[in-house]
Order: sequence, then C-alpha cells, then structure tokens
Amino acid sequence: MSTTFKEENNDYVMYFEGRLDTAAASQVEKEVQVLNDCFGHDIILDCTELAYISSSGLRIFLAILKNAKPKGSHVYIRGINDSLRQVFAMTGFTNLFEFK
Amino acid sequence: MGEELFLGFNGYALITIATMLGIFVLMQRSRLPAEVVFLGALTVLLVTGVVSEEDGMSGFGSEPVVVHAAFFVIIGGLMQTGVLYWLTKNVLGLPTSYSWALLRLMIPTSIMAAMLNSVNVVALFIEAVKIWARKLNIAPSKLLLPLSYAATLGGMCTLLGNSSNLVVAGLYLSQTGKSMNLFEPLVPGLVMTVIGVIMVILLQHHIPLRESTEQSFESTSDYTVELLVPTDNPAVGETVADAGLYHVKGGSLLEIVRFDREIIMPVTKDEWILGGDRLVYAGQINEILELKRTHGLAAADHHVWSINDIDTKRKMRTAYVKFGSDLIGHSMTQCDFEQANNVALVAVARQGHRIEGQPREIRLQAGDMLLLECPPKGDSQLEMNSHRSLTFFDSHFVPQLGKKTITSALILLMMFFVSSLHLLPLMAATMLAAGLMMLFGCCRVTGVTKLIEWELLLILGSTVVFSVAISKTGVADITARQVLNLCGSNPYLVMVVMCLLASLVSEFVSDVGASAVFFPIMYHQALLLDCNPMPFVMSLMLSVTVSFASPIGSSTHMLIYGPGAFRFTDFARLGLWLHLVLLAVALIMVNILYPL
Repeated sequence: MSTTFKEENNDYVMYFEGRLDTAAASQVEKEVQVLNDCFGHDIILDCTELAYISSSGLRIFLAILKNAKPKGSHVYIRGINDSLRQVFAMTGFTNLFEFK
Repeated sequence: MGEELFLGFNGYALITIATMLGIFVLMQRSRLPAEVVFLGALTVLLVTGVVSEEDGMSGFGSEPVVVHAAFFVIIGGLMQTGVLYWLTKNVLGLPTSYSWALLRLMIPTSIMAAMLNSVNVVALFIEAVKIWARKLNIAPSKLLLPLSYAATLGGMCTLLGNSSNLVVAGLYLSQTGKSMNLFEPLVPGLVMTVIGVIMVILLQHHIPLRESTEQSFESTSDYTVELLVPTDNPAVGETVADAGLYHVKGGSLLEIVRFDREIIMPVTKDEWILGGDRLVYAGQINEILELKRTHGLAAADHHVWSINDIDTKRKMRTAYVKFGSDLIGHSMTQCDFEQANNVALVAVARQGHRIEGQPREIRLQAGDMLLLECPPKGDSQLEMNSHRSLTFFDSHFVPQLGKKTITSALILLMMFFVSSLHLLPLMAATMLAAGLMMLFGCCRVTGVTKLIEWELLLILGSTVVFSVAISKTGVADITARQVLNLCGSNPYLVMVVMCLLASLVSEFVSDVGASAVFFPIMYHQALLLDCNPMPFVMSLMLSVTVSFASPIGSSTHMLIYGPGAFRFTDFARLGLWLHLVLLAVALIMVNILYPL
C-alpha cells in the first residue's frame, strides 16, 4: 500500500495505491496527516489505483472529512472502482462524501 | 467367522458387540443424530452378514414400530381436535401450597402419561406449566422436574406409556408368540408411581431452583443483544456518543463488528459509526430493543439498506434449542437457519447467564434460550418448520373445540377398551384407532405422514434388529451364561444384577436402547435357569425406565432441560434416590406378581 501527496490546482490530492486493509491502516493514517492543515484547500482522495478498502480505511477517510469540514474544505473522492463503490454504498459513505 | 475367537464369541458376535459399543460411544460423544447412529450400526450388521436382509428389515414391521406409527396419528387427531388442549387447560387448578401444586400436577400428568405416552404429555404440558408457575410465583424448574418424573412414572403403568415398554413387549411377542396386555405393567407401575410421587413431595427440597431463562430475558441486566445499523441511518458518520448509542438506558455498548468482521473492542465514545455495523450491547433486553424504535436500528441476519426496509411489525419470540437439534455446535452465521425461516437471532442465554461475544457467532448448545425476531404472521408455520431444532414458548397452536373433540376422545377410549379386554391385539387396536381418526376427520389425511416422527421409528426398528443380532450370534446366550457363572444360579441375584446394569445403561444411553440390548440376555438367562421368563421381562421393562438421575436418560427429561434452565447434575439430586428406591420396588413387586 502506498500513498502520494500532490497539490494540484490549489487542491490537496492524495493518491492511494494497493490495498488499504487493517494492516496498512496505521501507516496510512500517519501519511494522511499532511491533509490536516487544509485551510483554503479542497481535498481530493484519488482511489483510481486503490484495489480494496477495509473498515479501518474508511475510518481514515471519515477522519479526513471530519477534520476538513469545520475548516470549510470540501472532500471529494475520485476514481473508485465498482467493488469500492459497493463498499461505500453499503456503509452509507455515498451520502457523506462528494464524488468526482 | 463362525469359529470361536475370543471368550467363546465368534466373529459375528464380536462384530455385534463392537457395533453396540460403537453406538453407546457415538451417542455419548458425538453430535450425530441418534437415528443416523442406529441406521449406521444396522448397515454394519447387514454388510458384515451378521443379520440377513430379512432380519434387517423385520424390525421395521415389528409391533413397537407399527404401534408407535399408529399412535402418532392418534395423538395428531387428539391434538388437532383439541382434546389435549382442553386437558392441559383444565387439569391444573390454583393450589395454595407448593406440596399441593406438586400433587395437582403429578397425579393428572401421570394418569395422562399412562394413556398418551410420557413424551407426548410432557411436550404438551411444558408451556402450560410455565404459565402456571408464573401464576403461583414458583420457579418453573420446581414444577418442570416433577412434571417429567410424573410422566415417566405414569408411563410405567401401560405398554403405551413409555416407548421402551412397547419395545420389551414387542421382543417378548417375537420370542414367545404371546401378545402382552396393554395394562400388563399396571400393578407394579401403579405402586411405583404412588411411591415416586410421595418421594418427590417428601424430598421436594432436592428439586433445584433455577431462574427461568425466559424471565431472564425480560428482567435481567446481563444479556447480550446485537443490533445492525442500516445504511441510511442518520448516525452513520457520527461518533457513538454523538449518536446517543454509547450510553444507553439499561445497557452498555460492548463491541462493534464492522461489515468486514473487524471487531472494535473496547469501544471508545468517539468511535465512528459505519453503515452495516453490528452494535453488541450488554444489558436489559427490553431497554436495548427500544433502540430499534428510537434510533432506527435493526435485528437482522442480512444487511439492511434503509430504515424503511425494517418491518416494524416483526415481533420477538423466545425459543430453546432442543436436544438433538441440528443447530447444536453451530453458530447462526455458520448455518442458513435464519434465512430459511426468516428470523433473526437477537440474544442468547445459557442457564440464566450472558454468554460473552456476538450472539450470532455463539456456538449453540442444547437448552440455550434464543430471542428471535420473527415475522409478524405465520407463527404456526414457523413452529412446524423449525420443530426439529427449536421449541417456541409462546406456541400459537389453539385448536377449535367441537364435536370432533368428543369423537376423538371416544376413539381413544375405544382403543383402550378393545386392547385391555384383548378383543384385538394391541397392534390392530392402535391401527384401528388411527384409521378411525382419519375416517371421522379428526386428523387431516393429507398431512398424516407429517404427524409421524420417522426418526423414532427408525431407531425403534433398528433396536429390534440389534436384539435379533444379539440372540442370533450367541452374544445373549454366552453373556447370559457368563453372568450366571459369576452370580451363581440364584435367579433373584441374577435378576438384581442385570436390572441394576440395565438401569445404569439407560441413564446414559436411552431406555429403548438398554431394553433392546438386555432383553435377549435376560430372556436367555430365564431359560437357562429354567424359570418363568415373565419376571425377568417385566423387571427389565420397569428398570430401564427408572432413569431419573440424568437428563439424557429419558426423552421427557430432555424436553424440560432447556425450559427449566437445568444443569446436567440437577437431575441426580432427587433422581438418584428415585432410581434406587423404585428399582428395589420394581424387583419386589414383579417377583410377588410373577413367581419364578
């Protein structure tokens, strides 16, 4: 599992690649802390290369959202495949996040 | 195979002995259904040539099997026309003391057991006795144990009373060609019943007091409940504390099981809620179940997408896991019971205590009490579909009383009259009564095969064949001679030793199995000692039914084990005394009535 942080068009973009399972979650949690200071920036979580997400991974996404909202930032999810879309739908995350 | 190999036994005899031991071990140690064990053993005897095809099939057409099959139809008729319902509603009154309550319960149930078979009577009375116990403010265990004991005692009085009586009578018929009278064991059985009832009343302090698990569901603060968060629940994305699901009235949140089975435990109050989470609470069940209404949670075996999908009319019902249930050893997540019956397991209680962990992951045991969310309609259908696995407390079967109630009662009385006066053999009398039940519309002809407990018939048929094998291979003859060598030629001593052994075996296996194994041996002993076989046969019939000290010794004890929240050893406290005293009474009475 790897993550890459980029700033694109004033948006903070985090690229996820591989399987975000319980074992990888603690490392990823540290890596996404860079998104904490997001005043004046929207956040895009790019899942194009993300093959799997566990409940621990969803908790990380939810923590990013909960941190960004009070700061007036939007959190978008981009490029999820069908199986991830199913997980997002089942857990009610499609109602919480905006999708690109 | 025909040559002597060991202790005088030939190869066929050794196979027979090994098969019998195999049955005992498998019945004790494995979770295989009894009928599978017995049919497997029968297959071994057939394949190895111990019994011929003719012998192998003869058991299934024998008197005990045919009489039982006909009797199931008669009971079905009595049930469907409301005779049994009327009896259960009217025999119990409102006694003023516990001793009176025991008398009011034990006298009618023992009389009914003599006529209707002990198992039928206990099955019928469990629910009525539980309601009665609540009215009298007595723990159900204090009345259910006497119910089972009274039914077994009453069952000793007639051939129909206990299944083993019929097996012994059937084996006697096949050996001698003489059919026993339906009331053959009446006198010794009656004396034993009177002594047994008096003993239960005198030794009532030995009857264990166990808190009813059903009541526990209503009042305890120590049970585990599992509720699901539907996808569109407003709490999704909130913390458990903000959603009002952390500190709940009457309980606490133990763990969260995520959709991918990750378990969050302990749960902190800032833990997020995701759709599909299963929230596991410990606490007062009624209060926790309120969360379904107030917070849009669901009791479900499958994922729930929308709060609107929750059928608010579904209702909670309690059931207990029967002995021999196919659910034993499995958790709900491992089987399709919930899907097949459209129910969802909400909570499990075992002997009045909470079991750690997610209810749907708990491996169930016999006697476990389940709280199930069930469809709003179709209670009887659910009970019928799941009757091999569960027994529901709030049975919804209420028949209509009318002319057919009287007709079916008259048919039953006619059967007793015809059989006791020997106007017809027992087999013919029961078949005639079953036929009349159908002819007069007391039971539906189309569903008549569903009334028959085929598993019991398979077991009975197999036991008769084992008895044939024991005789045919010389096991009975050689064992009989060896016991005689040890005990000498005193027939009383031989009878005492054999009955003691048979009653011990019946405590741990079953009365039917013990009677089939011991009958040919004791019959041979009577012949070898040149005695009247009747005292041997009758003492065996009575001694295999005095298994009061363990819950597996009798089918009636197994029926009350769950509803009474009993522990395995509870039966021994009073049962051991009953076993010893009644065995002695049986031997004395039989020898007075049937001289050697």
